[in-house]
Amino acid sequence: MRRWLTSQTMQQSVFVGPALLVYAAIMVLPLLLGIYYSFSDWNGVSSHIDWVGLKNYKTIFTDDPGFGRSFWFTARFTVSVVIISNAIGFAIAYVLSKPLKTRNMLRTVFFMPNVLGGLLLGFIWQFIFTRSFSAIGQATDIGFFNLSWLGTEATAFWALVIVSVWQGAGYLMVIYIAGLTNVPSDMLEAASIDGATGMQTLRHIVLPLIMPAVTICLFLSISWAFKSFDLNFSLTQGGPYKSTESVAMNIYYEAFKSNRYGLGTAKAVIFFVVVTVITMIQLSMTKKKEVEM
Amino acid sequence: MKKWLTTISTVTLAGSLLAGCGGNEKAGSGTEASGDQPAGKEVTIKIMNFKVEVAEQFNRLKDEYEKTHPGVKLQVDTVLGGDDYNTQLKARFASGEMPDIFNNEGYNQMDAWLEYLEDLSDQPWVQNEIDLAKEPTTRDGKVYGMPVGLEGLGFLYNKDLFEQAGITELPKTLSQLEAVAEKLQAAGIQPFVNTYDTWFGLGFHNLNNAFAKQPDPNAFIKGLNDGTAKISDNVIFKDWTHLFDVAIKYGNKNALTTDYNTASTLFATGKGAMNQSGNWLQPVLDKLNPGMNVGILPMPINDDPALNDKLFVGPSNNWVVYKDSPVKKEAKEFLNWLVSSETGQKYLTKEFKFIPAFTNIKTDPADLGSIGADVLKYIEEGKVLGWHWAKYPDGAAPEFGSSMQKYIVGKINAVQMLGEFQSAWDKMKSR
Repeated sequence: MRRWLTSQTMQQSVFVGPALLVYAAIMVLPLLLGIYYSFSDWNGVSSHIDWVGLKNYKTIFTDDPGFGRSFWFTARFTVSVVIISNAIGFAIAYVLSKPLKTRNMLRTVFFMPNVLGGLLLGFIWQFIFTRSFSAIGQATDIGFFNLSWLGTEATAFWALVIVSVWQGAGYLMVIYIAGLTNVPSDMLEAASIDGATGMQTLRHIVLPLIMPAVTICLFLSISWAFKSFDLNFSLTQGGPYKSTESVAMNIYYEAFKSNRYGLGTAKAVIFFVVVTVITMIQLSMTKKKEVEM
Repeated sequence: MKKWLTTISTVTLAGSLLAGCGGNEKAGSGTEASGDQPAGKEVTIKIMNFKVEVAEQFNRLKDEYEKTHPGVKLQVDTVLGGDDYNTQLKARFASGEMPDIFNNEGYNQMDAWLEYLEDLSDQPWVQNEIDLAKEPTTRDGKVYGMPVGLEGLGFLYNKDLFEQAGITELPKTLSQLEAVAEKLQAAGIQPFVNTYDTWFGLGFHNLNNAFAKQPDPNAFIKGLNDGTAKISDNVIFKDWTHLFDVAIKYGNKNALTTDYNTASTLFATGKGAMNQSGNWLQPVLDKLNPGMNVGILPMPINDDPALNDKLFVGPSNNWVVYKDSPVKKEAKEFLNWLVSSETGQKYLTKEFKFIPAFTNIKTDPADLGSIGADVLKYIEEGKVLGWHWAKYPDGAAPEFGSSMQKYIVGKINAVQMLGEFQSAWDKMKSR
């Protein structure tokens, strides 16, 4: 009796079971259902569903330039956002881990954009780009402000990057600060006694020691940028002419606006596989670079 | 496979039903405590309204209805039509919170929902419905929807600004329209306020012009679907691009980032003389600029006055009743009340400014506002063409809109744009 109660199986199911059950119900089950729907022609509301085999996947690969275009946009967007937001996030964290008087206040200020939701942020920036910028442009005649920021392909792309970086960098900063404060000060001291310059210390001591933070930040920013939806939705609506339509938006439009739920889920399944593969590669690559103390 | 799927969905639905009941109980006990209504018999009709322009007026209507119909409560939720309405509806459907009365545009838009719609053929108002309004929601001889009202689409124009520029004759052809635009510009007035930021203003309202002016639009659309007709070599479509050119040339800067609200405000405050819109804008204009002197013009695509002096008139949308609604009897009663009672009719014409789609509702043009009065005149003279966007294949209109935006910024030329329309149609119909 006793033995049965304290057995491994019993322990596992009591402690992991409830969480696993919830996870299965709200994550695994919808995923499996989605895979099932991706082989069907369901329109999202009808009560009868027909099995169509691989037809949806065939359509995506042979007859859907829109999906390819949104994938290409998302890829460019992800690369830009990941590089810029991590660089800025790290730079701010590095500066704000120095003993500055205003550093607590500055940390709050940089983190603030993250508190606002993406949708709201999109509307605020839409106002800034279309109204404030043009007002400043008219008053000062500076070319930068006179651009039709959301009206052309290139500027709309960079508008999205700017807002995403502005929103995400603060969060990454917090993680980097946590990493930086964990770097033992005796090591830094030893390095400076040995005559290492600031750059050398950063490159050979600080960076290797905060690799766990880098892993997390890269992972987070890649998955944010890849799944980006709300910002595109409220800032540019995917425009002009669908040039800033992210994959998530393309899926949303296909499944809910065009009444092709089956085709939409097929796209989502492909997207899921791609994101999984990319983040796995990234995780295993940066994991290798982490050093144990 | 099917079986376990049904089981799962039943369980989820049942779950959400339970959740729904919980909510209702709470609401019910709330009113009981306040002592307004006798306990027990109260029902709530959930209405999902798509007309943001009349949201406020609808709430007043709700109060009046509840006063005269004790025990019936209306719950009105307004969601912007065109873009988000159908997504919201699906979300509510999936969560088991389906409204009892909602909107549907008919034609292809009705396909997805058809099996959930109540057959309204036996309703008293059907016999008074005008034919133009019946077509979209009639399927196999059965009527599934009640038209909300008729609406006219064209160029709204500011009469004062026209006068200021010395324009005495209203344009009936494209060259006249261009001459008018030139005159306005010469007088220092922005001729067009364009809102090109969303696909539905472009793909639906703007492009409809080219579909409606086909000798037989339905045959043309059928031809597109079976491959016998082509957009790319169609003369009317080519002519339509000329109108599009004029509107772009004499339009505001940054039309691609000018949204509906901004454009309406610009137009209402006299910052532009013409705006592609319809009589649905009247309540908005009344609020922004009471007493604004405004009318509506046709949208000419070439110099044939007989073809071009026509407005696009259609049933703006239709009320449909959810078949499995527990209060569908009350819902039908409400719809009937709306078009047969004096109060309901008063709200439709005087407050909502809808042009009625029923022969038994008499309207005073003065009630509709000046745009509505113009539209009514066109309807009475029979100078109307239809609305055809609900007949497009699903997903085609966003593609049309996106091609039109490319054309506006000069990324593609007119021939390429029509080519893109054609391939979008072919691609979307086969999915």
